[in-house]
Amino acid sequence: MTGRSLRWLALCGLLLFALRPEATAAQAPVRVASKIDTEGALLGNMMIALLEANGIKTVNKLQLGPTNIVRSAIIAGEIDLYPEYTGNGAVFFSMPSDPAWKNAKSGYEKVKELDRSANKLVWLQPAPANNTWVISLHRDLAAANHLATMTDFAGWVRGGGAVKLAASAEFVESPAALPSFEKTYDFKLKPSQLIVLAGGDTAVTMRAAAEQISGANAAMAYGTDGALDSLGLVVMSDAKGAQVIYAPAPLVRGGVLEAYPKMAELLEPVFRSLDEAALRRLNARIAVGGEEAREVAADYLRTKGFLK
Amino acid sequence: MVRNRVALFLIAVALAASWGLPFLTHAPNRLLSGRPIALVSVLAGARWFVLLPVLLLAASPFFPTRRSAQLVVAASAAAFLVALVWLAGSEAAALAEAAPHAARTSLGSAFWIMLASTALMLHDELRRLGASALARSATYCAILVGIAALLAAGKLDQLSLLREYAGHRDVFTAALLRHALIVILALAPAIILGIPLGIAAERRHRLRGVLFPVLNLIQTIPSVALFGLLIAPLSGLAASFPALGAAGIGGVGVFPAVIALALYSLLPVARGAAAGLAAVPSAAVEAARAIGMTAAQVLRRVEAPLALPVILSGLRIAAVQAIGLTAVAALIGAGGLGAIMFQGLFANALDLVLLGVVPMIAMALLVDTFFSLAIAASNRVPR
Repeated sequence: MTGRSLRWLALCGLLLFALRPEATAAQAPVRVASKIDTEGALLGNMMIALLEANGIKTVNKLQLGPTNIVRSAIIAGEIDLYPEYTGNGAVFFSMPSDPAWKNAKSGYEKVKELDRSANKLVWLQPAPANNTWVISLHRDLAAANHLATMTDFAGWVRGGGAVKLAASAEFVESPAALPSFEKTYDFKLKPSQLIVLAGGDTAVTMRAAAEQISGANAAMAYGTDGALDSLGLVVMSDAKGAQVIYAPAPLVRGGVLEAYPKMAELLEPVFRSLDEAALRRLNARIAVGGEEAREVAADYLRTKGFLK
Repeated sequence: MVRNRVALFLIAVALAASWGLPFLTHAPNRLLSGRPIALVSVLAGARWFVLLPVLLLAASPFFPTRRSAQLVVAASAAAFLVALVWLAGSEAAALAEAAPHAARTSLGSAFWIMLASTALMLHDELRRLGASALARSATYCAILVGIAALLAAGKLDQLSLLREYAGHRDVFTAALLRHALIVILALAPAIILGIPLGIAAERRHRLRGVLFPVLNLIQTIPSVALFGLLIAPLSGLAASFPALGAAGIGGVGVFPAVIALALYSLLPVARGAAAGLAAVPSAAVEAARAIGMTAAQVLRRVEAPLALPVILSGLRIAAVQAIGLTAVAALIGAGGLGAIMFQGLFANALDLVLLGVVPMIAMALLVDTFFSLAIAASNRVPR
C-alpha cells in the first residue's frame, strides 16, 4: 500500500471515529417542540431559553401540531423534547378508566413507568398545576347563586337552574369529561342546556359565556386557561376529583437525556414553580394581552431568577 | 343613462356596507369582541378628501364610454384602494393613543366589502379599457407598492393584524419561506412526472383510460385525510432505516406534505399537458413531418411551443392549488403560513388567522399574475 492511500485510510478512519453515533448525539442540538396551543408555546419557549442559556444548543420546532402529531414525532425520534400532560397517558396507553390518573402523583408515576419501558421516553418533574377540563360560570351568575364548587353547581342544576353550557362535542360525549362530572356530582344537563361546538377551542366557549352569545352563561375551559380571569369567568372547583389530572411536564427521549443529563436539574425548579395561578397569569399575557410567548417566557424566567 | 350596470351594482353594495356595517372594530383585548366603528365616524377633518375618488367612482356608471373617462375611473379606483387602507391605519393609530396597550383595532366587514367592490370595479374597468396583461399587472403592482409604502412608513402599525405580526415577526418570515419551499418542492415532481405522463396519455388511449381516473380519485381524497394516510407508512419507513430519519424523511413534517401535494398537483399538470397537445393543429404536425422532422423534433419544435399556453394554464392551477393546500399541511408539522393560521384559530385570535391567510392570498395572486403574463407571452409564438 502506498503512503498516500495509507494516509487516506487513516483520515477516513479518523472521520468515521469522529462521526460515531455517541459523539454526534452529544454534539447534536436538542430539537424542542410543542403543541400548537398557547401553553405549549409558553412552556416550549421557557425550555429553549433555559437550555440555550446553559450551553445546550436547541432547534426550535415549537407549535408543531396537535397532540397525536407531536407524540408520533417524538416516538419516531424526529423531535427530542416537548411539554406533555401526565393525564394524556390514559389516552396513549388506552386505559381511560384507571383511577390512578385522577391522582397527581400516581398518574405521573404510572405514565413515567409506562413510557420508560415502552418507548424509552423520560418524564421529568411535572408542574403542580392541573390543566384539565373545568366548567366555568359567568361571574354574575356565580355570585347571584353563590356557586363556587361543582357540588354547588350540581345542586343548582338539579334545582332547575337556568344553565346554558357552551362546550365541544368531545367534552359532551367523552365518558371521561362531562359524563364523568355528571356521575360524580349527580346532575344531568339536558340537550337544551348545551351549546355543542365542533372543535375543542376553549377560547371560543369562554368568549361565548363571557359575552353571553346565544344565551351561554357557562363554558367548558381548561384549568390553566389564561382568559378565565380577564373574561370574568369563575371556575367550579372539582373537589371530588371527577377529572383526570393533566400536569404539564417535560417529555424527553432517553438517549438525549443521557447526552445532556443536566437538562433534568435545569428544568425541575422551573416546572416546580409553575402552579395554576402562575400558568393562568402567563397564558393570559399571551392569549389576551397578545404578548409574544418568547418574551413572556423569558420575562418569567428572569423575574424568578432562573435566567441571569 | 346607466352605461355600466356592473359598476352601479358594486357601488350600491359598497355604499350599503359602509352605511350598515362596521368599518373597524375596537376591542379591549385580543380575545373579546370589539365595538363597531362606522365609516362616517372615521371621516373627520382632513380625511374627507378620501371621498373625492369615491364621488368619481359613484358617478362612473353614468360616464360616457370614452377612453379618457375609463382611465379616470380606473385611476380613482386604484387610488381609493390605497386610501381605504391608509384610512383604516390612521384611525387605528388615533384610537391606540387613548386606549390601553392591550386594546386591539381590527378591520371590519365594511372595510373588506368596500375593498372587494373597488377591486372588482378596477378589474372591470381595466377589462373595458382592453388593457393588456402587462398593463393590468402594472396597475396592481402600483397599488401594492402604495400599500407597501404605507407599511414601511409604519402607518398601519396599530391595526390588530400588524400588532399580531409584531408579536410573531420571527416565526412569520420562517413560515413564509417554508410555505414557498413546500410549494416549490411539491410542484417540481409534479412537473417532471406530470408533463410526460400527460403527453403519453394524449398519445395512447389505454393509458388515458387509466391515468385520469386514478388522478381524479386522488383529487377526491380530502387533503387532511391524505396527509394522515401518509404518516403511518412513512413513520414505519423512517423507523426501519434511521438514516432516512436523519435526512429529514419521516411521517411528520415537510416530507409527507410534499408527497401529498405532488400527488394533488399531478392532475392539473397532466391534464394541461394532454389538453395542450390535443390543441395543436394537426396541419402543423403534418407539415412538420412532411419536411422530414423526426417525432422528437416535432415534439420539441412544433408541438411544445403551440401547447405551451395550455400547459402553463395547468401549471397555474396546480400552483395556486398547492399554495392553498399547504395551509393544511401545518396540521402534520410541516410549518408554513398554515401554522400561524391554526394558532390563531385555536386561540380564537382572528387577526392572527388573517396574518396567516392574507399573505397566502397575496402569494396566490402573485403566482397567478406571473402565470397570466407567462401565458400571454407564450401566446405570441415567435416566427
